[in-house]
Amino acid sequence: MFEALKRTLSRSRLRAARPTPERTRAGGKGALLFDDEFQRKLESLALVSRRVFAGRMRAERRSKKKGSGVEFADHRAYAPGDDFRFVDWNVYRRFGKLLVRLFEEEEDLSIYFIIDCSGSMAFGSPSKFDQARRLCAALAYVGLANLDRVTLVAAHENAGSVMPSTRGKNRIFKVFQYLNQLECSGVTDLGQSLKTFVAQHKRRGLALLISDLYDPHGFEAGINVLRYNKFEPYVLHMVEPSGGSLAQRAILGDINVYDCETGEEREVTVTERMLEQIVEAHREYDSAIQRFCTRSHVPYFAAPPDVPFDELVLRVLRRGGVLR
Amino acid sequence: MHLAGYPLSAVLGIFGAAAACTVVLYILRLRRRPVAVAFSPIWQRVLGARESSRLFSQLKRWLSLLLQLLLLALLALALGDPRLVARSSEARHLVVLLDGSASMLASDVPKGRLGAAKEAVAHLIAGLGPSDSMLIAQMDAGVTPLTTMTDDVAELGAALERVRATDTRTDLGRALAFALDATSGRSRPEIVVVSDGAFADEARRHAPALGNTTLTFLPIGKSGHNVAITGFSVRRYPLDRSRYEVMLEVLNTNDTPADVDLSLVGDGQVAETTRLSLGAGERRAQFYANLAGADRTLEATLSAAAGLDDLARDNHAYALMPERHRTRVLVVTAGNTYLEAALLLDEFLEVTYAAPDAPLPAGRFDVTILDGVTVPPEARLGGLLYLNQPAAGGPLELGRALEDFGFDRWDEKSPILRWTAPENVQVRSGHALVPQARDQVLGASEQGPILVSGRRNNQAFVALGFDPRQSDLVLRVTWPLFLLNTINYFVEEDTGYVSSFRTGDVWQIPVPGDARLAWLTEPDGTRSRLAVKEGKATHLGLRAGFYELTPDGEGHPPLRFAANLADADESRIAPQATLELGGTKAGEALGFEAHARYQIWGYLVLAVLLLSAVEWFTYHRRITV
Repeated sequence: MFEALKRTLSRSRLRAARPTPERTRAGGKGALLFDDEFQRKLESLALVSRRVFAGRMRAERRSKKKGSGVEFADHRAYAPGDDFRFVDWNVYRRFGKLLVRLFEEEEDLSIYFIIDCSGSMAFGSPSKFDQARRLCAALAYVGLANLDRVTLVAAHENAGSVMPSTRGKNRIFKVFQYLNQLECSGVTDLGQSLKTFVAQHKRRGLALLISDLYDPHGFEAGINVLRYNKFEPYVLHMVEPSGGSLAQRAILGDINVYDCETGEEREVTVTERMLEQIVEAHREYDSAIQRFCTRSHVPYFAAPPDVPFDELVLRVLRRGGVLR
Repeated sequence: MHLAGYPLSAVLGIFGAAAACTVVLYILRLRRRPVAVAFSPIWQRVLGARESSRLFSQLKRWLSLLLQLLLLALLALALGDPRLVARSSEARHLVVLLDGSASMLASDVPKGRLGAAKEAVAHLIAGLGPSDSMLIAQMDAGVTPLTTMTDDVAELGAALERVRATDTRTDLGRALAFALDATSGRSRPEIVVVSDGAFADEARRHAPALGNTTLTFLPIGKSGHNVAITGFSVRRYPLDRSRYEVMLEVLNTNDTPADVDLSLVGDGQVAETTRLSLGAGERRAQFYANLAGADRTLEATLSAAAGLDDLARDNHAYALMPERHRTRVLVVTAGNTYLEAALLLDEFLEVTYAAPDAPLPAGRFDVTILDGVTVPPEARLGGLLYLNQPAAGGPLELGRALEDFGFDRWDEKSPILRWTAPENVQVRSGHALVPQARDQVLGASEQGPILVSGRRNNQAFVALGFDPRQSDLVLRVTWPLFLLNTINYFVEEDTGYVSSFRTGDVWQIPVPGDARLAWLTEPDGTRSRLAVKEGKATHLGLRAGFYELTPDGEGHPPLRFAANLADADESRIAPQATLELGGTKAGEALGFEAHARYQIWGYLVLAVLLLSAVEWFTYHRRITV
């Protein structure tokens, strides 16, 4: 009941800071807009963490610390100076021992949104990067609404820019502003980028990797860096529809194929059969990522850019257990 | 197979040059379309597995080159115009002489003889070999080439449609001479005569030698039933020009007797109708004397029972009589009873007398007769007839004096002496006349000219070198005839007027006045411009009927005249199955196979188009790329 009361108060306090459409429009490009109804739905969601991380400030997340929470955690022997209000008198009457009740401390959760800003993310129509930014904004809003500590990291070739950790729903505009100024360029090297990330962020937490995972060095490296450094990684895979929308583009015939990140060229004569093989190879690549994540117990979600992002947030991610 | 177009060396040269250009273009590196992909390692994975397919890609490229070379080879071969050996014999040069004479208007075969002849020529055109050339000429009184020597079937067909029969006989000799000229120096010359063979014997005799030219005859027609008007003439009586007489000649070419109805229509009114019974092959002259009622046009029409007359065109004949009008005559004489009496014979004469020493009466005259006197020439006096021309003041100088002489020579064709007999005229005394250049001596004794005509200052004159009263001329019929002929000569009213021309002849049509041009309106209304030279317009008449000639300029009324076929040979329309000229018998038309004109180059071009279409389809449907 206390918890419910606190949540109600918190909502009434933060409602004043809810980004109205006008304010959202003022804060960034139209691509990041979401309406009141969607925002209300987001406020009822929370990111799920299967592990308990140590927080820094009091919030609504369970933590390993014992403190002034409402959830009973344990007993310990009374020591002089303890507050009498926490002495468990029922135990004393039955067993004659003077024990003090301990409660779980509720802290905030560190949530890291790692968004891939390599050149390949700008590919496709609609662009994967736009979809990624919309998803990132929506999930960041969910985290901010739950008083979690939200950090945005843009993964570039080697390192990346970082939006410092922030809390509170009214900081969503900062998130918008940060996402809006991001641009896609360079070659994907998630392994190196995320090594830099873990080195810079000692506080562990959820790490949502939003990427197409087109990494010439292998998509596994980046995910493993998060795993091995005790982050709880989530993979939001920005897949291309129908294997890179190749079939939609008339690329049959003699063409010069070049990689949009590396610029590597290759002359090729594309036939219908070859095109089918390319699409099949894309499908196989996506399946390999999914198999790897499953094997590694990393939650995996495919996020095609042609699926509306509100449907992704409210249904797919919720059904997959990222949100509750 | 041989090449009828470019020689083999040229074909190979063209192909070589074009093939070299094509190969060079294929050697040039293909500029490929750049296509960005998000993640090339996936492509590398697929392309690595397909490395072996590059060979097929290269092969397809070479196949495309080979296809282009094949197209070039076909086009180069088409330029060579290849022909099959079986059809590649030496080119024939044919001159088709299509009979367009009046007999081809006979209706003894469906569509008429001309229609059948056109169909026969059309079959010849369809059967021309690929190397053959043909010239079509219409053969009638003249020869009219309708095409050049060409292998253009469309042009030949169009020329065939333009053929129209004329109301003339056939001049076979002239047509053959033309055909020989047209085929001279050409390979395999051949003359094809498409006709009913109804040629005059004279035409056959005068046919030129054909030499090595092949003569082919395509006979047209199946029967020769015909009755015709082969002669038509009309004249006014000289001394009573209100009446006239008509001579008609009719011919029955049938093997059986024929009853024919003959009608004479004068100025639109029926003047005479007669039924004649003509024997088989009979040619009869029919005279109609002392007719009256018609003043201008006469048309004779013949009709026979059905089956006896297959040619209608020669059933009509036309004639025009000279128009009558009063002639104003001034006689300057001291008194001449013989002269006055002779002038009384023609009621259309308006005679004015004047004494030699009196002033001439005012007004214009058509003719002035000067009886032993002279007057200053004036245009208003019209033509001048000098009787016993004085030594001074006349158009001619007088020669030596003559005694007891007569007409030893005279111009029988002169209209002034028509129907006269001057040989019996005896003259006691007179003078020889000295004609100038361009003067015409109409009559002369052995000692010199005594009757001369000519022009002075555009004024016509006739001069007699003796006084008629000093001879027995005034006692003879020749005297009034001479006077009236002379008056008619001056006023261009000729009682012996040629009532009609004959079609197929070159007409010399007298044009009044000094016009240089005249407009001729033919019976069908066609107008053409004729040049007038020395007072005559020249025209090759092809149609029977009434014509009208209008001199250019003002003041001259149109001249009307008639033209008739009037040719017994042309009316004998019995078709001939064979044609023999100068001992050479014409053969049948051989070597005209239908569809022999197919040419391979068309198929080659068609193959090129087909291959291009297939390539286009496979390219655009992404089958070969």
